[in-house]
Amino acid sequence: MTVTTVTPPRLAGSPEQGEPRRRLRGTLRWLVPLGPALVLLVIFMAGPILWSVYIAFTNETLTGAASVNSHFVGFANFVKLFGDEDFINSFLLTFIFVIGSAVIGQNTLGLVIALIQRGRGRVLRGVVNGVVIAAWVVPEVVAAACWYSFLAEEGTLNELLGSLGLSQDWLFSAPMLAIILANIWRGTAFSMLVYSAALSDVPSDLLEAAAVDGASGWRRLVHITLPLIRRSILSNLMLITLQTLAAFGLIYALTGGGPGTASQTTPLYMYEQAFRYFEIGYGSAMALVMLVIGAVFSLVYLRLIKVDA
Amino acid sequence: MRRAMVASMLAVAVAATAGACGGDTTDKSAGGAKEIEVLYKTDPTWPYMDKVLKQAKTDYEAAHKGVTIKLSPVQGDNEVYYTKLALLNRSPDSAPDVYLHDTFQVNADVAAGKLAPLDDYLKTWPDWATQYADSVKQAAKGPDGKIYGVPISTDTRGLWYNKDVFAKAGIQVPWEPKTWADVLTAARAIKAKAPGVIPFSMYSTKPHGEAATMQGFEMLLYGTPGGTLYDDTQKKWVASGKGFTDSLGFINSIYRENLGPKQADAFDPKLGDKVALEWFPEAKLGIDLDGAWVSSAWKPSGTKPWPEWTEKIGWTPMPTQNGEAPGAVSMSGGWVMAMSSYAKDKKEGFDFISTVTNKKNTLLYSVSTGDLAPRKDVAADPTYSADNPAVKFWTDLASVTHYRPAYEVYPKVSAEVQKAMEAMTTGSKAPDAAAKAYADSLPAVVGGPDKVTAGS
Repeated sequence: MTVTTVTPPRLAGSPEQGEPRRRLRGTLRWLVPLGPALVLLVIFMAGPILWSVYIAFTNETLTGAASVNSHFVGFANFVKLFGDEDFINSFLLTFIFVIGSAVIGQNTLGLVIALIQRGRGRVLRGVVNGVVIAAWVVPEVVAAACWYSFLAEEGTLNELLGSLGLSQDWLFSAPMLAIILANIWRGTAFSMLVYSAALSDVPSDLLEAAAVDGASGWRRLVHITLPLIRRSILSNLMLITLQTLAAFGLIYALTGGGPGTASQTTPLYMYEQAFRYFEIGYGSAMALVMLVIGAVFSLVYLRLIKVDA
Repeated sequence: MRRAMVASMLAVAVAATAGACGGDTTDKSAGGAKEIEVLYKTDPTWPYMDKVLKQAKTDYEAAHKGVTIKLSPVQGDNEVYYTKLALLNRSPDSAPDVYLHDTFQVNADVAAGKLAPLDDYLKTWPDWATQYADSVKQAAKGPDGKIYGVPISTDTRGLWYNKDVFAKAGIQVPWEPKTWADVLTAARAIKAKAPGVIPFSMYSTKPHGEAATMQGFEMLLYGTPGGTLYDDTQKKWVASGKGFTDSLGFINSIYRENLGPKQADAFDPKLGDKVALEWFPEAKLGIDLDGAWVSSAWKPSGTKPWPEWTEKIGWTPMPTQNGEAPGAVSMSGGWVMAMSSYAKDKKEGFDFISTVTNKKNTLLYSVSTGDLAPRKDVAADPTYSADNPAVKFWTDLASVTHYRPAYEVYPKVSAEVQKAMEAMTTGSKAPDAAAKAYADSLPAVVGGPDKVTAGS
């Protein structure tokens, strides 16, 4: 993951160049290797993003007359959006999903696993890491299928609970809980890896010194470890929040947003509007709102954990 | 360094969430030879179109040297197919030349100029005049009066029922319900006397999309006095009236009295497969409001061969609300083979359409799918009705059938209907509240209050 830039040694005895020339060479030095990637990014990312910003302000659809002569409608899509009950519902569900599965679930569980693993034997770490990362490595649809077979009516969970008389169709009775658990299960590995790396940077002599001074384990965690890794906490929170905000495949495969709209988070509602009802302009307006929400989350993190650069 | 790392990780994460979208541009004419790309849907439980098109491709390529047919199947259900087709149709480069098209989507594409009128070619094809009834020819007629597709299938809808379940519930067979109340009475009897059996199944949730609107809601609405979604004389959409509310009331009774499938099943996109492949053969379902094609799964060549079905299963028309004339109701739709206006080789494209819809291929399609045949010569063929004693019944339902107001905005109206039905399924709204919500949302959906008339 770490990229090391090796500055090529300057050729001894190269003739002195004029200042502008040297600057140009300096620019070329990073521009030439970066160029192809930059061009690809502009074509395949900036292009579609700008297009989706544009169509958010039009009545563009995928079929029908508006698909060939769409026109500018100003903020009409956004006005409609904020009066749309289903959107408000999806927005609340997205919020619950992000807080529940990313901020609380993955983040805390990842940190706890990383902390417990610190200083344990290699074999144990290997096994735990392997198990946790395996959940992360499997494709989204496979993860969804696993959870489906676990939670479904004839699933493993109900087989276990059957004797207690608690069996029910979990995906139907508790769809939000189901998708939150599935997402925690799948995404914890990422947080765990980030925190394992961060914890290895915490100097052990500092912790030992605190222990000698009589600080309890909890105080050492709160006053030494957490402050030292807070930049990792920040970047981890940001990354998993953005990932979770956009989560689609897992929910789509597990509950399809249902029953009704009980687990229809905004990405699913967006998909339904854009690709089921072909309102691509409306869907794009929603995507823009999501983008703003992602930015707001990031700002909140920056404020909560003040980073001295 | 660390900052740079965070920044690059952020970039990667954003890139991953933004996703990549690329269109594949296929070279349509490699080396001078012509290629016709054909788009259609297929599914492990519905492999029939695939078989028909492979046979048509072989026939066509043998007769037309230098033209290749490129078959592009889309895996999945109807909703997936509509989306895929709409996306491919956005650009002339990716649009397929010839495609299987649901009749209710045709007008939207005519309005967008994405379909080619076939009239000039149909004149040169003798079968069009001799083998297709006038009502069938309307299937893909645009608002301009031109024909935009050749029908490969048509269908009717009604009630299927399991005779073993009826025997257990003490209901006489053959069962001939005259009113909605008769249907509900039978369902209640099944619930009371046949525990573990689902009394009545219908499509009533959004995952079933148009199937819910057409097989479910419209089968009720068009059986109420004056019930319709669109007033043909005023050319306006009808806001909910009594018929609308009563239709929702029927669905409400089904779910509130636990006469329908469990909620989880009602929302399962594979409900249709459960009905045909599990519940009916295992006598776990009493009555099913569905299409003529349900029995196709039970043929020897079907996905769940069940030779006893002709003994165990009965069929009867869906009655009108209170037995109003003509006493029964049915809805018809169907699929056509259509040609893109972007197709380069239109003559060859039409030749392929006429190969797919000729007698041999239509017969293969109709016999395997159980859909009703649009061609007279196929309907008259003995193999068409050979192992399907129900086919005559379903074909005759054409006398009471209705067609959807498949105008450009219809798919959106249909989506609003599904919302109302879903509210009945979950019980989140009362029938009149859901009907009012439909009436409130209608003007925005159909393009203004001047296009809506109050329901009676």
